[in-house]
Amino acid sequence: MHVQDGFLSPEVCAATGAIAAAAVGYSVYKLRDGVSDRVVPLTGMTAAMIFAGQMVNFPIGLPVSGHLIGGVLAGMILGPWAGCLAVTMVLVVQRFLFSDGGLFTLGANILHMAVIGSIGGYAIVSIVRRFFKKPKVGAIVGSVVASWLTVVAASALFCLEFRLSHPAGAFEFRNIFALMVAIHSLIGVGEALITAAIVSFVLAQRPDLILGQTSASADTAMAGVGRVTAAGIVVALCIGAFLSPFKSTLDDGLEHVSEVQGFAELRHSAWAFFADYDKIPLFSGQWQGLSVSVAGVVGTLSVLLLALAFGRAVSPRSKVAEAGRE
Amino acid sequence: MIPVVNDSLARGPAARSPGYRLSPTLALGLSVAAITLGMLLPPTHLPSHAALVCVLLAALSLARVPFGMVARRLAIFLGFALLFAVSVPLSQGFRGGWEIAQGILFRGVESFLSGLWLVSVVPFDRLLATLRRLGVPTILVAILAFMYRFLFVLWKELDTMRAARRARTFDQAGLIFRWRNSAQMIGMLLIRSLGRSERVYGAMCARGWDGTVRTLDE
Repeated sequence: MHVQDGFLSPEVCAATGAIAAAAVGYSVYKLRDGVSDRVVPLTGMTAAMIFAGQMVNFPIGLPVSGHLIGGVLAGMILGPWAGCLAVTMVLVVQRFLFSDGGLFTLGANILHMAVIGSIGGYAIVSIVRRFFKKPKVGAIVGSVVASWLTVVAASALFCLEFRLSHPAGAFEFRNIFALMVAIHSLIGVGEALITAAIVSFVLAQRPDLILGQTSASADTAMAGVGRVTAAGIVVALCIGAFLSPFKSTLDDGLEHVSEVQGFAELRHSAWAFFADYDKIPLFSGQWQGLSVSVAGVVGTLSVLLLALAFGRAVSPRSKVAEAGRE
Repeated sequence: MIPVVNDSLARGPAARSPGYRLSPTLALGLSVAAITLGMLLPPTHLPSHAALVCVLLAALSLARVPFGMVARRLAIFLGFALLFAVSVPLSQGFRGGWEIAQGILFRGVESFLSGLWLVSVVPFDRLLATLRRLGVPTILVAILAFMYRFLFVLWKELDTMRAARRARTFDQAGLIFRWRNSAQMIGMLLIRSLGRSERVYGAMCARGWDGTVRTLDE
């Protein structure tokens, strides 16, 4: 999920950095109104907890195992503003202590994980909770919905930034959009499962941490308008993510021109296996958007299968396990 | 899984390394300059990027960072960076995007190495003081310092919980069980750490904490 330096152009880094700084500054401002002396230990400890929690592996049968991202969890425990600060701190420490994620792209990472994850996630959870009579069920369903939506929205926002970072016509952005969104829909499912499992465990042991009046999030609640706006932005990004392959076939003439001029001679290269999918009658015309999505999903699955085969070949654990069975 | 607690970077730089005497502001500036240079170089010009990577590796070896550790972490980093870089040409059906992939890879590696160098010559607490001098709000620096202090405590707690889990399950459990188990471990860590933060807050209040951060260098 971390955006490294080199992915985004300096202008986009500056813009995302400014937005992230504004969001973090606003969070600090909101927290100064309330119980400010409690903020430092509570936020710092939760940030350390999320960082430590990210070290817990969730095996998916591949060499890379999944882990918690934690934006929605931080928002549910601490409320939107302190949650945003906690995830920001996690990202800063990851950058400065472990060189994880870029320096100039720190703003983009804060935007993706802290702002969308915690502030947007909190807004979605608090809206979803209203539709359920049982507060525990509402919290769990809310955490599932918010986790999935925020991960997909973050990937859509990243694609937008990636697109703005490169000149129009450098390559077909629809395709990378589809690939990114397909991968992150899967990551979102993982994050939703992990967050829901943690939330339901905490609800069973200490429900007051999430539901009660004593929970920290009750102190720093969000106004109704802000809640709807934040949730609306996240949902709009998700809708944009899934509609964009369809939409850009209709109105993005510039890309079409550059494709005709720039890539015409490359069409007959050895790598043209995927290149001619739009020649299949079913996938031509307005169905092209769908075919792009299909190509994205196929690409994702093949990468996953490759990784699985690679992982089985090099994993020492499987050998130990086999030896144990013998 | 990286054994984070034993990582020498997490424990801070070796006191005898030559870079240790650099001023933190200068080190931060040099690190930023290296990343900026990487972004200014043309993405596909191999010699210039190779030269920059060599300079960074030389700086890391001057800072006495063990080569094996750099290699291990670089390998983990490269795995993810390659996966993303390749996804650009992959999404184009391998018809284009190679230049962008190259640029992403070079710049990512340069940024990664210069970040490693920065933490290996500047201890984290001095970096925090520098950030504060550069105008980062005190409350953010205080949260960062608090988080850094308790990160290692929680890691140790997590290690204990992991050891207990291994003793019970021998890592042979099914996938669903292990997911549930991992989530419960995080949930338990959450409950314990929130309880701990209440106790620490009480202890801080007992020592006169009123929400303002005071440091020794003031």
